[in-house]
Amino acid sequence: MTDVILEKVGKTYLNGFQAIPSVDLSIEEGEFIVLVGPSGCGKSTLLRMVAGLESISSGTLRIRGEHMNNKEPAERDIAMVFQNYALYPHMTVYNNMAYGLKNRGVPKDQIEEKVTDVAQMLGLTELLQRKPGQLSGGQRQRVAMGRAMVRDPTVFLFDEPLSNLDAKLRVQMRVEIRQLQRKLGTTTLYVTHDQVEAMTLADRLVVLNKGKAEQIGTPMELYNTPATPFVAAFIGSPSMNLIDATLTDKGIELPDGLVLPTDTADAHRGAVVWGIRPEHLDVVNESEADFALRIQAVESLGAETLIHGVVGTESVVVRLSGPHLPEINSLMWLHAPKQHWHLFDANTQQRLSV
Amino acid sequence: MTVTFPQKGLPWLLLLPQLVVTAIFFLWPAEQALEQAFYQEDAFGLSREFVGLENFIDLFTDPLYYESMLTTLVFSFSVAIGGMSVALLLAVMADRIIRGKLTYQTLLIWPYAVAPALAGVLWWILFDPSMGPIALWLDNIGIDWNHYLNGNQAMILVVIAATWKQISYNFLFFLAGLQAVPRSLIEAASIDGASPFKRFWTIVFPLLSPTTFFLLVVNLVYAFFETFGVIDATTKGGPGQSTTTLVYKVFDDGFVGLDLGGSAAQSVILMAIVGLMTVIQFRFIERKVQYS
Repeated sequence: MTDVILEKVGKTYLNGFQAIPSVDLSIEEGEFIVLVGPSGCGKSTLLRMVAGLESISSGTLRIRGEHMNNKEPAERDIAMVFQNYALYPHMTVYNNMAYGLKNRGVPKDQIEEKVTDVAQMLGLTELLQRKPGQLSGGQRQRVAMGRAMVRDPTVFLFDEPLSNLDAKLRVQMRVEIRQLQRKLGTTTLYVTHDQVEAMTLADRLVVLNKGKAEQIGTPMELYNTPATPFVAAFIGSPSMNLIDATLTDKGIELPDGLVLPTDTADAHRGAVVWGIRPEHLDVVNESEADFALRIQAVESLGAETLIHGVVGTESVVVRLSGPHLPEINSLMWLHAPKQHWHLFDANTQQRLSV
Repeated sequence: MTVTFPQKGLPWLLLLPQLVVTAIFFLWPAEQALEQAFYQEDAFGLSREFVGLENFIDLFTDPLYYESMLTTLVFSFSVAIGGMSVALLLAVMADRIIRGKLTYQTLLIWPYAVAPALAGVLWWILFDPSMGPIALWLDNIGIDWNHYLNGNQAMILVVIAATWKQISYNFLFFLAGLQAVPRSLIEAASIDGASPFKRFWTIVFPLLSPTTFFLLVVNLVYAFFETFGVIDATTKGGPGQSTTTLVYKVFDDGFVGLDLGGSAAQSVILMAIVGLMTVIQFRFIERKVQYS
């Protein structure tokens, strides 16, 4: 069953600025959807439009089939976790979690049962009588989630909930959020600018760029077949190597006269963007190589090594597993396997088949 | 940051103007009042006689003094609560508007710049029983307004005049307090199903409590000690004693009644009250009522 449907949803501010031209998205029941993109891409605006905190300028929003455009946030059966948690500082943890239920006139004993259950699930039982000011960042985060969970909403909305936590806690909470969501089976819309978070959490990702959905798909679809150079660069860390090139009958002509021969089925000829991920470049002998990398910097991360350098004048990153210590300024011979190439039309920014 | 001076004299020289002002205008008069409180002086100031605590005993056995205390309490709390309520209402409305915000806010702050005596005169004219527009309008709807004869009406008049001046000040603090409440809290509450009215009383107002408590003390201090001008310009403490607050009584007894000793004793009591209020302000406002 489809839970949430966005049809040509757009946002234009009073001053005429069009933040979101038009987004189409349908979310299945229980699905975990992540909206990801750089800051200012409109992802938070889109989330707030679903929440009802921001008006919808055009298009329609449906939750469980019901038209929601003009409904108050409270009438949409959603719960939201804010970036700064937005806990009520003068209320205890218990009252923070009970507030929404009290406002809806739920009987007292039911509220208590609900809050105690959720507190137990989140390990907050000991903290119920504390105020938010006496909690650590991770605990506040849990309370914010608890407040959303007690309401048993149709949809969870998360607005960059982990960005205020330190790196270690962020990984831990990320796993917890995913497990909880699986267990509860609640449809979730989650906003982040962190592509690692997006990849690990999402059933499907929506990559937003300047208010437009560049691509919607599973993390692996986006990783394997990015639809545009923007998605290609955004998903994966370190970013995909993207080089402006020209597609001719001979093959892909990189700047500096390098040619990667190919018999592409695509009829397109002209300006293209050629890409390959750092982890897909192989180190080979000179005779088998497609090109040479002049090494400029080496980042040793233990489990893997990132080698930064230039091919001609283009910057290229290579990712090798295990430790390597090549000399700076030496040459590294590389092979780019054809099945890992990505090719985009430079004008339309659309993916071409290799 | 610590600044070290080469000679010892220079820092004292730099402090001197402030010390002189404090000594001449605060310490000396306070000392004079304290001294005076133990003397009885004749009306022309030619001779005086040490009377010990007699001035204080007279005061505390005088029913008029207790009446004035009650008047002061009624007046002060009416001014504080009235002024704060109206200011909070205006601040909530000012916080909502988007266009013309600056103009609206500026206009609301203006009354604070009006001198107390002028504010008094302004309301005195508006409420004048024979020609004041408000008094005439009240007459039309069947209320016989004459604050020269009716003590309660006189009290209402001084409360309005004193409150009006203080609204601007309260407004500024409430507006700043409202703007400091994170928007996301209001949004979270609206998702939690709280109506705008409920959001205000359960989220916004509790979060404003440090501001509210601070303003309560400031307003009480204002009503206690800084409303002499307003009262003098509107009712002169009358009719009878009905608007004679403690501060007004100090003036009235001392300069009209020429009982300098009794007036000085009252000043000493007022000084004690100011001291107490200052302690309360620092003890509670600085520490107790705040949220991290």
